[in-house]
Order: sequence, then C-alpha cells, then structure tokens
Amino acid sequence: MRRLEVDVGGGLTGGGGLGGGDANLRANAQAREAFRLFAADSEFARAPAVHARAAFAFTRRFTVEGGVTWSRPEIRTSITADAEGAAPVTSVERVDQYVFDASVVMMLDAFRLGTRLVPFVAGGGGYLRQLHEGQTVIEHGQVYHAGGGVKYWLLARPGGFLRSAGLRGDVRAQVARGGITFEDRPRPHVAISGSLFFGF
Amino acid sequence: MKAIALAAVVAVALAQPAQAYLHFTTTRGGESIVLKWQRTPVRWFARERGAPGVSASEFQAALARAFATWEAVPTASIAFQFVGFTGAEPFDDDGISVVGFQNQPGMDRVLGATGFLIDTVTGEIVEADIFFNSALPWSTAPAGDPAAFDLESVAVHEVGHLLGLGHSALGETEARADGGRRVLASGSVMFPIAFGRGVTHDRELQPDDVAGVSDLYPDGNFRRQTGVARGRVRRAGTGVEGAHVVAFHPETGRFVAGFTLNREGEFHIAGLAPGPHIIRVEPLDDADTESFFSRRTPVDISFQVTFHNRLFVAPAGGDGDSFTVTVTPK
Repeated sequence: MRRLEVDVGGGLTGGGGLGGGDANLRANAQAREAFRLFAADSEFARAPAVHARAAFAFTRRFTVEGGVTWSRPEIRTSITADAEGAAPVTSVERVDQYVFDASVVMMLDAFRLGTRLVPFVAGGGGYLRQLHEGQTVIEHGQVYHAGGGVKYWLLARPGGFLRSAGLRGDVRAQVARGGITFEDRPRPHVAISGSLFFGF
Repeated sequence: MKAIALAAVVAVALAQPAQAYLHFTTTRGGESIVLKWQRTPVRWFARERGAPGVSASEFQAALARAFATWEAVPTASIAFQFVGFTGAEPFDDDGISVVGFQNQPGMDRVLGATGFLIDTVTGEIVEADIFFNSALPWSTAPAGDPAAFDLESVAVHEVGHLLGLGHSALGETEARADGGRRVLASGSVMFPIAFGRGVTHDRELQPDDVAGVSDLYPDGNFRRQTGVARGRVRRAGTGVEGAHVVAFHPETGRFVAGFTLNREGEFHIAGLAPGPHIIRVEPLDDADTESFFSRRTPVDISFQVTFHNRLFVAPAGGDGDSFTVTVTPK
C-alpha cells in the first residue's frame, strides 16, 4: 500500500488583515504624544491560487503530501483621516506569493459516502515566500494549516500505470506568520481549492 | 536656522536644492554642486561665553552631545573634534568653526543660525559657524525646562545645517494670531520651526534626518541597504515644482521625504527601508517657502494633498519603479 499520487488544481486564497495604524508625527508637547497625520489599514485581498501536490500513501488511511501554491494577491491599504483633509484612498500593490508546504492527510473511511466519496482531514505547515511588486524585495514566513475535504474517485483499479483518478475538494484554515505584515501577529485566513488527482 | 515661528532659512544665498532632503548646494557653470565637508574630523570651537542659565561648559557639553548624535548615525560617515574654547565670534570668516551664543534681541523669532564659508569650485565646506540667540531663554536640563528652549535640541538642528542639510518639511503647523506659525507636530529634527519651550524631542534624530545625512555622507552599506523612490508630481499634464513628497513605511512607522526640484516635477527620495511605502504629496504650506527654497524658485502650493494610488516598493539598493502622482488644484 505504497502509492504515489499527484494533484493539480486551483482555488481561492482568502484575504486577511495585515495590520496598520496611524502614521504619526511627534506632537509639540513635553510628553511623548503622537500627532496623527493619517490612518492606514492594510489587508491582503482574496486571490485565485493554483497548486500542484505530490502525495505518498503509507497506509490506506495516512498520506504525506507536499506541494506548492502560487497566487497573486493584492495588498490594499486604506488611507483615511488625513490631518489636512486629503480624500481617502486605497493604495494597492500586487504580490507574488508562493507557499511550499507539507501535510499529513488522514482518510476518514468510517465516514465514506457510497463507494467513491471519502472525506479526509489534513494538517501541516510550510514556507511562505512573497515577492513584492517589481520582484526586488522578498519576504519570508511560515504558514500552518488545518482542514479537510473530500476525495471522489472517478477511477480505481488494482493494477496498471494509472491506478486511480478523481476529484478533490479542500477547505483549509490557515495561519501565516512573518512574510508581509505591518503588525507582529499571526494572520488567519481561509483557503478553498479543488483539484484533479492521479494515483500511480 | 531654527526659528520660534517663521523665519527665513539661513543658507547664505546657497539654498538651491539639488535633490531630496534639501542638501545645500552652490551653482557653478549652471551645475549644482552639493555642499559638504570633504575633510574630517570637522574641528569645532566653543565660544567661551555662556548665556543666562547656561554656563560655557554646559554649552560645550550640550553641543558635544549634539555633534555625537549625528556622528552616531550608523549609515553615515562623519566625525567631529572639539578643539577648545575660543574668544572668536561665530560668523567671522576666520578659518575656524565656532559655535556660541550671541545676543540678538532684534531677531526675536530666531533661536539659532548656521553660516558657511565654502569653496565655490568644489563645494567643500571649509568653515561653518553656529550662533544661538542668547536674547531668548535656554536650558540644558536633562528633562527640559518648560520656561526655556532646549539647547541640545536646537543644537542638533543647527549641526544638521553645519553638515550641509537644509530644512525638512515633515511637520504640521497652524497660523498664529501674530502672523507667525506654531508647530503642531514634526517628523524631522530639520523641520524649520522649533518645538515649544521645554520640549526635548529633537535631541533624537528621526528617520528623515538619518536618510538625509546618510545620503550626503554615505557609509559602505547605506546604498546597498536602502532604496530610492523616483517619480514626478504632475497637475493637468505639467510638472509641479516645490511639492513635498512623503514616503511612509507602514511596517516601521518611518517617514522619509523629499521635494520636487524642477519644472518637470521630478523628485527622488533616498534612504528608504526596503518594502512598500505610502506616498503622500502635499503643498509646502506649513512654513514659509523661503525656509526651503530660494526666492527664485517658483514653488507651487495651489494643489490638494494627494495620496498615490499605488504602494511604492523600495528595493534593497537601487531605484524602485518610477511613478507619477497626479494632483488636483485646490
């Protein structure tokens, strides 16, 4: 029961807050007081993502998989409350984002729906690499995820080069640390994806 | 020059800025030459006379701290040497750089000023003197004195001029009933209008000051570690001259700013931390425009404060993508 599986697909990486706050000057006061020139709040926008994964099934229930996900989310910074009355504006930047991750997948055979549809749960983590617009600045971080989904087998046979094929749907709760952020705190977000898998 | 309220910039007819941060320049054959010290350490003398509330030794100690503040910038290479006390006056063209008090009751809004003797061929500063107006109350108290101006803070500003830095426009002011302006806040020691009595914030350099001095006297890593923003400010298809362009780095909360310096509305701001910046363009209306530019410069202040609709990404070394900010009339 040692089988290789590859999986390609796409989905949507959810947005999330990057933090922000006030752009402050030093106020003319003996105490250290801030004078807000304007307020800025940034977020990652939702973005389409594509991925490729390779999985190795050790047992019927447990699979280890690794892959890469690429997306191009926008950073959107809302600028408001300007001290001199400038009109609010949203400034944007597009980022190339790569996540190289590994997961442990557990098939939930006990919850099988019919003969072809099997739910699973998965968890893991990986390396986050983000390239700013112009691709001259690279940011690094980590992404941890937990979630689950279903696999639907279109083809399953005991022998031959292609031994299985099917569809897979995933929902992941993800937490990013590091990378592009304007606050030192984890950034939770959700990712959904669908893919085609082929077993060999 | 650090003024209580509005006052003309000292630049001894040399304030024709060539690039961001308003480095002092002189013009020769139509070309701008940046004024800077070419031989270090810069040797300075303290005048042997104090002022009410400040002894000569307290004065010298406060000035030494101010010089040390600039000397400590890790991305700049400049050094100073205190030579001794002198009976010479600031602003005598005597070949020695003198800092000291002078009683100038007629200059009731001027806290201090810096003057230069320069080589007009090379742009080398050969002498720079600083005077502090002893007609005004001064303090060297560690926590400041609410009844007096903080000498060290004003000295840090004037030493910035001595190095060749002009004024920064990173600040906000409000008009006063007497026609002057009161500073509400500032983001740079080199803002032309001083904080009020007792305020000691300007003892510490701000990122804009650090970028300015590092651009003038860069050490080995400055150019490699920081990026440059270049672009234009335009209105109805024509360049805006004298616009103040502010780059804000949300990750660190740092401001670094510059100006558009020609009729094409072109600017460049060096010393930016790598990563995305918010770009804000504002008219130069928080201080007298002559605090920044010569009278000959047609500074345009008739446009609205505008944010660029793209985040500018500063690279780690070199220039980012050039961009244009379009402003609208007031």
